[in-house]
Amino acid sequence: MDSRPGDETLLLAVAGRDMGAFRTLYERHAGWLAIRLARRCNDRDLVADAVQDTFIAVWQRPQGFRGDGDVAAWLWGIAIRRLVSRMRTRGSVAAVFEKGGAAPAAEDQVLLSVEYGDIGQALARLSPEMRAVIQAVVLDGLTAREAAQLLHVPVSSVKTRLYRAKARLRAVLAEGSS
Amino acid sequence: MTGWHLDDGTLRRYVGRTDSLAEGTSVEQHLLSCEQCRARVNPAVDVIDLAAVWARTRDAVEVPRPSVFERLLRVAGLPAHEARLVAVASAFRGVWLVGVAAVLAFAALAAAVGHARGLWFFLAVAPLAPCLVVAFSYDRRMDPALEPEMVTPYPALRLILLRTIAVLALALPAVLLLGLVVPGDAPFAWLLPAIGFVAVVLAASTWVSPLNAAMAVSAAWLTTVWLVATRSASPAAVLQARIQVAFLVLAAASFGIFLARRRHLRQLRPWR
Repeated sequence: MDSRPGDETLLLAVAGRDMGAFRTLYERHAGWLAIRLARRCNDRDLVADAVQDTFIAVWQRPQGFRGDGDVAAWLWGIAIRRLVSRMRTRGSVAAVFEKGGAAPAAEDQVLLSVEYGDIGQALARLSPEMRAVIQAVVLDGLTAREAAQLLHVPVSSVKTRLYRAKARLRAVLAEGSS
Repeated sequence: MTGWHLDDGTLRRYVGRTDSLAEGTSVEQHLLSCEQCRARVNPAVDVIDLAAVWARTRDAVEVPRPSVFERLLRVAGLPAHEARLVAVASAFRGVWLVGVAAVLAFAALAAAVGHARGLWFFLAVAPLAPCLVVAFSYDRRMDPALEPEMVTPYPALRLILLRTIAVLALALPAVLLLGLVVPGDAPFAWLLPAIGFVAVVLAASTWVSPLNAAMAVSAAWLTTVWLVATRSASPAAVLQARIQVAFLVLAAASFGIFLARRRHLRQLRPWR
């Protein structure tokens, strides 16, 4: 590996009010955060606001990172919640539901079998609403309330959809293995 | 670091959002832990203007945290940008208030000790404090921040009134508190003169700079107090109801003039 400072080192420097380190951190992370956020929200202004909020939060509380896990994962946790809170104040923006269809190509199958196995197909067979809930709650780690704000549906709907989606996945996976 | 990395096709589909949920999810999981693949994603970002967002972010963190006073103003319901405008007045940077408070403390102390002379001193100084603070709070020579403010199409009248109210809200309790140390009714006798002087300074600021106005008012008041004092009248003379009413009339008239001439406030800009 090269001798560039790691993210943890940069965070320490940011805690010491180092604007250069802050900029490096931004350049390393703002891009993929923006892309990942944009997959959950169609409004690019909101995504830009959420990225800005995220880094302002990092500047104000770099010590919020407790040294467990990846800095990237910590940043994502902040970013998705900033997005949720921006969407709550705007209210009128529809979250992105994954597009259905598009059977995975051969190399996808390889990738999926490496990392997920049959789950890929199982997810593909869920309805878009259920996938959105799975994505928000299971994959992004949001609470039911946060997911409800992100998707603009009642909390109760999130809970029922999650319950049904899990049941569906279980059934599909059991079917595939038998 | 596993040595396993995303291939270009997968990355392209991820950035272009043409992948499936499962594939996208696996990409996202990988990105969380792989600095190299993140670095490959970053140049492809077209969803937002990264440079513009960086500029905004940097500006946001470089602005100093709002002062206690500014936050108080916001709590009181003032929009953030107005709270900032009101609070950047140099009067709130503490220096002037400390100076004013020191003078008042000295005067109150002198009065509390009980000398008639001390009481006179208090009556001479205390009513001038608010109008001086108001003048300092929006005189351009005292406050470089004012220049861009006055150039922006912001209603100058609103700014000046907001600042005046803010100054009074800050200065009055402090001076009242000090006044409690002073015996008799004197602590409260200065209130109407003080308000009258603030109104005079506001009205005069449509002709001359507020600081000059405040200086003139101070000189006039100090001369008056000195004249009355040397004729050995008791300090109680200033407390008479007639004189208090006169100050009330003065305040109302000056404020009327200020409002009537508010269009001339724009002429304040070329002060030298």
